[in-house]
Order: sequence, then structure tokens, then C-alpha cells
Amino acid sequence: MFNIFKKKTNDSKDKVAVLGIDGVPHSLLERFIGEGMMPNLSALANKGSLAPMTASIPEVSSTSWSTFMTGVNPGRHGIYGFMELQNVSYKWSFPNSNDIKSETLWEIAGRNNRKSIVLNVPSTYPAKKLNGILTAGFVALDLKKATYPESAYEYLMSIGYKMDVDTRKAQESTTALAEEIASAFRIRKKAMLHFLDNNEWDLFIGVITETDRLHHYLWAALDDNKHPQHNFFLDFYTEMDSFIGEMYDRVGDSVPFIILSDHGFTTIKHEVYLNSWLRERGYLKFNKEQPDSMEDMHSESKVFALDPSRLYIHTKNRYSRGNVETSEYESLRHKIKEELLSLVIDGEKVIKTVMFREDIYSGNLYDKAPDLVALPYEGYDLKGSISKSQISGKGFLTGGHTRENAVFYINREISDGDINIVDVGPTIISLLGIEGNNFDGKCLLNDR
Amino acid sequence: MTHDEMEKLMSMSLEEKIAQSKKVIKEAINKYGPENMAVAWTGGKDSTTMVWLFREACKELGVQMPKCMFIDEGYVFEEIWDIFNKLKKEWNLDVLIAKNTDVSDKAVNVGDMVKVSSLNERNKREIAVLDYEEEEFPFEPESFVGNHLMKTVAMNVFLEDNNVKALATAIRWDEQEARIEENYFSPRRIPPHERVQPILHFKERDIWNFIFKYEMPFCVLYKEGYRSLGAKGSTVKMSDIPAWEQDLENTYERAGRGQGKEEIMGKLRDLGYM
Repeated sequence: MFNIFKKKTNDSKDKVAVLGIDGVPHSLLERFIGEGMMPNLSALANKGSLAPMTASIPEVSSTSWSTFMTGVNPGRHGIYGFMELQNVSYKWSFPNSNDIKSETLWEIAGRNNRKSIVLNVPSTYPAKKLNGILTAGFVALDLKKATYPESAYEYLMSIGYKMDVDTRKAQESTTALAEEIASAFRIRKKAMLHFLDNNEWDLFIGVITETDRLHHYLWAALDDNKHPQHNFFLDFYTEMDSFIGEMYDRVGDSVPFIILSDHGFTTIKHEVYLNSWLRERGYLKFNKEQPDSMEDMHSESKVFALDPSRLYIHTKNRYSRGNVETSEYESLRHKIKEELLSLVIDGEKVIKTVMFREDIYSGNLYDKAPDLVALPYEGYDLKGSISKSQISGKGFLTGGHTRENAVFYINREISDGDINIVDVGPTIISLLGIEGNNFDGKCLLNDR
Repeated sequence: MTHDEMEKLMSMSLEEKIAQSKKVIKEAINKYGPENMAVAWTGGKDSTTMVWLFREACKELGVQMPKCMFIDEGYVFEEIWDIFNKLKKEWNLDVLIAKNTDVSDKAVNVGDMVKVSSLNERNKREIAVLDYEEEEFPFEPESFVGNHLMKTVAMNVFLEDNNVKALATAIRWDEQEARIEENYFSPRRIPPHERVQPILHFKERDIWNFIFKYEMPFCVLYKEGYRSLGAKGSTVKMSDIPAWEQDLENTYERAGRGQGKEEIMGKLRDLGYM
């Protein structure tokens, strides 16, 4: 007889383990596998699927990881970037976990009486109560507020846990930065293995963010064997491979094991300052020659940009100083799009596509969306800075994000077709055996 | 006070805690007289609890209830005004509003810039004390100058104008670590007065137990998930479930207050943003 009171067994088929590797390109892993540098990952690739994945728009960690953790587009989860401009005061606001308006994977799991361990996922600060353990990732300010429950905080304090790489070390030397990245990576791995071994879980998600910091600051070291950190860069990936092997062994072959990144990386050819471009063309004006902040925006401004590639029409409806009438909106958007598409630096086109908000976003929080988003050719790093007088230049970072060429791996077969980061959440929930959620993404597995 | 004494006070039963608070309140009233005291009331759960305890203690002593001081820092939640008006009437409170109108009159909206030169001498002097040298400052809760003028100066002027010798405030030891050093009576220099802190030993959980046991009215924002109420615009919800249903023991009460904007910007700049 079917027994409805039968205790739910903790079948391994109901568990999922996820390793996030912030900012790791698919092509880089394929290259290191090809060069024999990552034997563990190579073995995993042979018994599963390692594939390129497309990130969110824009391709920044806060938006991409929020898309991952909710399985819905920014029009529903609400995180369009690291910062927003308040539409009355023109001050910055910085969305945090309270601003994510869709259920997260661990909330869905918790609602179904399943335990989650969530470590260092960006945009989860401050920590909210969950059925399990969470310590937040970037931008986290205070470990106590970043961690739930108290016992996890106490453990993290006891091992001298670091929430992030102190990138100011880069001002000392690349060696100081490399040591800092290595030590943050060590402590991150230690914490992840501790929670993996000592706590019950159905869903385990641990994210390594050191990869993103390494790439931003030391991308130039990858292919330059005279760079003082060239060997450090390669050794870092050797260690990453060992860690993947160690984690996989502990999780076990039978448990679905996912690896993903939130965007790819490439060499920055030029930083491109969209607000300088808008100023030069008369679309954006400030009350002073060198504005201190967006609060100095002139009421005659028609368009402005926020990091990295979000463009906003300064409409009367939306902004307190806005002046663009509804009747002008469409023609202005098309004009900006055409002009962006013909932007040329050193004889090369910069912008590959310009998308309108309705082509990308939908949902309750659609009203907060940027009006246009510019998608550049690889190597052009779009910026929302307002302090630059030139349209393009070089900054202190050598690596920049790409939307294409993020990575997805699972030790299973996956169905044919393009993979987007919005698909990962639905895949995880399906593997957990939980049904009935309304995602924007699709399950990537063949048999489901 | 030793750590052990504090521990003992914090682990008492709710009724013992109420009795302890009343004892502190009565001691203050006997020392200063109700006419020389003021009770700081924000409309939040802690200070409303304290106002209730004062009313009870005054009834038992047969004296009048001291006046209440409500600081209007210019960005008060509408929901706070609702509970303010309700209790003022129902409890027949003598509430005076402390507001730095010299500053707030110069700003229409939160975020507006206020020129230092447009302010009165007192406010100019206060800004000079802060070593702030810009010509203007933003009227907003998180700004250093705005916060000082609209809260601290508003309160100090109130204390001076009303010749307040003792001000009761509803801080609690378990609220944040910085408060562990606090005592029931604590003298202040600017302006000279005594702080009376009668509910230090209440934990966040005790406050909710008290509110439900005595059927005290409270601000609806707590029901919407706010744990601790500060200025509108710098206070966020911790969760969508009511404050008293949240895991009070394992999460941080004031996590929703203030955002650490400067620190966030610094971190973002280090990664090439802003």
C-alpha cells in the first residue's frame, strides 16, 4: 500500500551541488583542458556536458547571479545592475538582497522542506533567514549581517574568513595582489569544504569570486610569459582544477554537479565612456564642467548612461528634472540607436547591437528597466563614468566582461540548443524534484 | 555594571523586567520631578513600550506624566505619523515636536541641497563644529551634516528650550554591540542633562512579547517586515514576514538601517564601476 507518511529519503538523485566560478570564460577552460592543465575538469567534461553559455543583459555579476538564483529575467527579479539612479533626487541607490523580488532557488527549496547551503553568491547581502546556511557575496559589508545563522558566522569568524579580495593591494604591487587573491581563494575553499562536509544539504551552491578579481586585474598576465604574475595565473587554474576534483569526490558521482560562470572575460582594447559620448553629442548636460555626481545633471539632459551599458531616456514621466515628452521618446530612442551603431574608435565599430527594453525585459519591474542597452563588440568595455573628458581610454583593469562565452557544465547529458544563465535555476529545481514554478528559463536536461 | 549583572537582568522574566524598568523610572522621577523630564518617543516599538511603562509608573506614584519629545527629522514614515496621532490621542500624551525648521524650510524634497549661508547662526556654528567646509549640503538622512542638524541639534535645542534635566531614551543592550557599555543613568555634557535608559535589559523578543501580552498598538510597518525603524529612505525591510515572526535571535535587528553607501561605492570603484 502506498504510504503517504513514508519519510522522504535523502536520495542522492534529489540533491544538487553547484560550483560558481565568477567571470570564467568557456573558451579559457577548453584551452586549459587542451593544454593538459585541468585534468579533473577534463575527466568531468568527458562524462558530462561542458558548454558555452550566454549571460544576462547587462553582463554584470549582480544581474547575472540574480538571474541565476531566480530563474527569471531582470524585469521580474528587479536587479538591472550594481546601482540605480533615484528618479527624484538623482542620488545613487545600491540594490541589495531586499530588492530581489522573485523567489530564490533556496527559498523555493526551503518552501519544499529542503535544505540549502549558499556560500558567497553575489547580491545576497544582507543575509535573509533560510532553511539552511547562507553567507553573502559581493557587495557584502559586514560578515555578521552577511551570514545566517549565527553558528555559521561564528565558524567563519573562527577561520578568519574573508568576504572578498582586498583589491586595494593592487596599488602596492601585482605580487601583493596575487598573494591576496591566493589567500582569499584558500579561505573560500576551506569554508566551502567545511560546510559541504559538516552540514546537511539538498542544494549546495558555492561561488568562487577570486577568478573575477584575477581576470580584471591580471588578465594581461595570461598570455604574456614575461608578466610577473604569468605563472601565478596558470597556477591559480591548476589549483582550481584540484578544487573541482576535491569537491566532486566529496559530492559523489551520483549527485548532479553543476559548474557555471556569470559572464566571460576578454582583453580590454578600449574603455568606452558612454556619458562622455552623450555629452559630446549634446544629449547630456551637467550643471558644472566637471560634475561630482549625477546630482549635477542638468534638466535639459535627454539621455544618460549607467554602468556598464544601460541608457535611460530622461523623460518627464520618470524623472523629476526630466524634459523628454512621451511623443519624442520613440524617435529619440531610434536616433540614439543609429548613432551608437555608427560609433567608431580607431577605425573600428564599437557597438554590435542596441536593444530596446521591450526586447529584453518583461515583468512587474519592467518600469525600472533601462530604455536601451548597448551590446559592444568584444574588447570594448562600456562604462557609465561621468568624470572622463574623452570618449575612450584605458583604465587600471586589463580584463573586461563578455556576455557570450560564460560557461555551463553538468555531469549529465543536456538537450541541444543555446544555453542562457536564466536556464540554470529551472534545471536545478527540476533536479531537486520540485515542480510547478513559473520560470522564464527552461530546464536544460534531455529527460525532463 | 558587570557582565554577569547584565546577563542576570537580561534573563529575567517579562514581569520582572517590567518591574525593573518601573523601578528605574520611579527613581528618575523622584530625583528630577516629572516637570523637569522628557521622554523621547519615536513611534517605534521600543520607545512606545517605554512610554507605556512611564504612564504606569506615574499612575502608581500619583504624579503627572512627563512631556514626550518627538524628533521630526524631515523624513518620517507616514505610518509612523499614523501611530503618533493615534497614541497621542488615546493615551492623552503631551507631545512636543522637536524639528530644526531653519534647515527643513530650505528644502522641499529629500536630497535637495541646502546652502550653509542661508541658515541661522546656531546651525552655522554646528556645521563649523563638524569641520564641514562646503557651501551646501544635501537634506537627507544619510548625510553627515543633515543627520547632525535634523536629529542631534533639533534634540539639543529642545532640551535647552524646555530646560530638560533628564531625558529618557529606549535603547537596549541587545540592539547593537556599541550599547553594551550603557547604564540606566548616564550624565551628558552637551547640553548638561542626565540620560535615563529604563529598558536596557529588554531583548527584542521581550518587546514583542510585551506588545502582544498588553495589546499595545504598534506601527504597521513592523507587520510588513521592518524590524527597526529609522528615517524613511534609509530603512529597508528585512523580510516580508512580520517582525515578530522573524528569527529575532539569529539575525541582526538593525541590518535594514543605513546602507553603507560610501563603502559600497569604494568596492565598486575598485572593480572599475562608478
